[in-house]
Amino acid sequence: MIRDILMYMDRTYVTTTRKTHVHELGLNLWRDNIVHSSKIQTRLLNTLLDLVHKERTGEVIDRLLMRNVIKMFMDLGESVCQVDFEKPFLEASAEFYKVKSQEFIESCDCGEYLKKAEKPLNEEVERVAHYLDAKSEEKITSVVEREMITNHMQRLVHMENSGLVNMLLNDRYEDLARMYSLFRRVTNGLVTVRDVMTLHLREMGKQLVTDPEKSKDPVEFVQRLLGERDKYDKIIVTSFYNDKTFQNASNSSFEYFINLNTRSPEFISLFVDDKLRKGMKGVIEDDVEVIFDKVMMLFRYLQGKDVFEKYYKQHLAKRLLSGKTVSHDAERNLIVKLKTECGYQFTSNSKPILPCNLPAEVSVLCEKFRSYYLGTHTGRRLSWQTNMGTADIKAVFGKAQRHELNVSNFQMCVLMLFNNSDRLSYKEIEQATEIPSSDLKRCLQSMAFVKGKNVFKKVPMSKDIGEEDSFVVNEKFTGKFYKVKIGTVVAQKETEPEKQETRHRVEEDRKPQIEAAIVRIMKARRVLDHNNIIAEVTKQLQSRFLANPTEIKKRIESLIERDFLERNSTDRKLYRYLA
Amino acid sequence: YFHFCDDSVTMCVGTASSSKKSSKETDAIDELFNQYANTHSHVIDPEGIENLCSSLKVSHTDVRILMLAWKMKAERQGYFTLVEWRRALREFKVDTISKLKKALRALKEEVRTPSNFADFYAYAFRYCLTEEKQKNIDIETICQLLDMVLGSTFRAQVDYFVDYLKIQNDYKVINMDQWMGFYRFCSEISFPDMSNYDVELAWPLILDNFYEWMREKQA
Repeated sequence: MIRDILMYMDRTYVTTTRKTHVHELGLNLWRDNIVHSSKIQTRLLNTLLDLVHKERTGEVIDRLLMRNVIKMFMDLGESVCQVDFEKPFLEASAEFYKVKSQEFIESCDCGEYLKKAEKPLNEEVERVAHYLDAKSEEKITSVVEREMITNHMQRLVHMENSGLVNMLLNDRYEDLARMYSLFRRVTNGLVTVRDVMTLHLREMGKQLVTDPEKSKDPVEFVQRLLGERDKYDKIIVTSFYNDKTFQNASNSSFEYFINLNTRSPEFISLFVDDKLRKGMKGVIEDDVEVIFDKVMMLFRYLQGKDVFEKYYKQHLAKRLLSGKTVSHDAERNLIVKLKTECGYQFTSNSKPILPCNLPAEVSVLCEKFRSYYLGTHTGRRLSWQTNMGTADIKAVFGKAQRHELNVSNFQMCVLMLFNNSDRLSYKEIEQATEIPSSDLKRCLQSMAFVKGKNVFKKVPMSKDIGEEDSFVVNEKFTGKFYKVKIGTVVAQKETEPEKQETRHRVEEDRKPQIEAAIVRIMKARRVLDHNNIIAEVTKQLQSRFLANPTEIKKRIESLIERDFLERNSTDRKLYRYLA
Repeated sequence: YFHFCDDSVTMCVGTASSSKKSSKETDAIDELFNQYANTHSHVIDPEGIENLCSSLKVSHTDVRILMLAWKMKAERQGYFTLVEWRRALREFKVDTISKLKKALRALKEEVRTPSNFADFYAYAFRYCLTEEKQKNIDIETICQLLDMVLGSTFRAQVDYFVDYLKIQNDYKVINMDQWMGFYRFCSEISFPDMSNYDVELAWPLILDNFYEWMREKQA
């Protein structure tokens, strides 16, 4: 209005004499004489802050008045606004929320605190909308975030009985989601959450796999693993917005602890075996798919994939040969999945299995068959899997009790011995058949202690088999039916010696693979230093197993000895390929 | 015996074209050779070497004999051929036992020069490969050899390493690579602290194991 009156002067005189324009001059005068007046400045500020405080504590204030005052500041210029209002406002807010958050943290558990922390954030945004400078929004929000979240982050996450770990254990999806969205706002918020989750997961996983109780039943063991996997998957999807970094943290934790137990590959194979043997009847195709997809997930975590392969093949062979597989389609599907993961190596040759002296009659037939087979098919290898397969034997007990016994190969070998002897000790049987002791013991137990199948009597009657214990044919054996099927007491898990043997075979198999990798790499690079060889070899083999640097070094030295490689004479850190 | 044929050919050629002085020299050298050589095989055999050692007044396990063999580039342990004998004595310019004795003392210094020593050290290993196609040497022999060859310069390393070799089970024999590796170890790694040793480098595995063993002992 004043400007309108003095318009002429404003346009001409002021411009030529380069004085301040009326409007601006007016504002400056207002600022200097009123707003910054010693009697007004402090009082004004304090009143404003006081009103904000009142509103924060729940009172209703005159928002319109606030808006107008703030607008006045804004009109006076950015710097006035900041110095005279915004900065003190932010400081006072910080103070206020510091106190508030301290109050909350002492009185609430984590979940409640998070709920309480959400409110101020919304409130302040609203406040800005109503009467503050829009530019202040970001600043006040970060003040609140800092006071309410950042400063108490560690304490919240680690809170006993209500912190992150507790939420994870109890599937508190809502609380977790709230924590995620709040912590996401602040620096290192999500990092903190993720790290604590990872630590917990690893610790829990480690306890799970190293607990001897839990390792007793392989199927249970794997079921637990799958359960945990499902749980964390759900948490990450539901509460953590399927955040990739959390997925990765979860995956790396699973990979870490699954491989802590060296029997994991074996157990996973046994789990698969269990599913394919029984219990799938009546289960729909789709469910099978789902279970196998989950198994594949666990498989990917395994470092000793070649170990898994060994067991898988053993179990598969047993299933197929004993006709116990429930669905050939299911078997095929799984093999396809495994092949896709591992490439061609998964289905390459397996080694022949266990020794056994067959009775003369049988070996003659075996030889005849072998010459026939190799005669008609060139380039094939025939190896007798003597621990598989069955035989039908006609037996006469006592005077006239006749039966046809359906037995395993091993059982057949043992039975035939008794055509020439009435009584044999365990040691004699072992020497004659050369059947590995754990298999032989199971074989004898299945023919001496199982009701209705006790074709043998053991002296002494104890279930344990000692070297000198002997066996005789049970002349009093009777059975309801003519045909008697004698199964073998099947041990699901490997015994200790069997385990050692499998381990040993896996180690032996790894050696040529490592050497092949070394030679391949050196052939291409000609000269390479030690660290790089280790790195490259490990990389090349990682889809099969985790190569041990010491083992790699051993193989390199062996190759040096066999003149495949040499050390560089000038720089002995380098290896050189010898063509 | 094939060696003899070669020798006789060389001998003929040698005497035909050399000057009067060197043929006299050669004669003296050859005569000295004949004093110790086996009359049937015409080489100095183990028994001959023993006699030579008595004359020289050194033990036949003395490192100087090994050094002499190195100078001769002797190929077969326990035997010196005429060619090999001549090679060394001509270089020394000696033709009597007492002169040879003196030469041996100087030889010790000559071998110790860094360039010669690496060569001598490698030679010592090869010299012990007595069987055809043999590539490795048993632990016991290695221990003796280490003591003989490195004992005076790297006493501590040799003592500890020998102890280690005797108690470890990973290796029953040592190959050339490991042998040379140990010499490098002695020359490059401060001992006994071994602070500059790095197991992640290309040291032979046996030395990595030795290092770990030493660390455990020191802890």
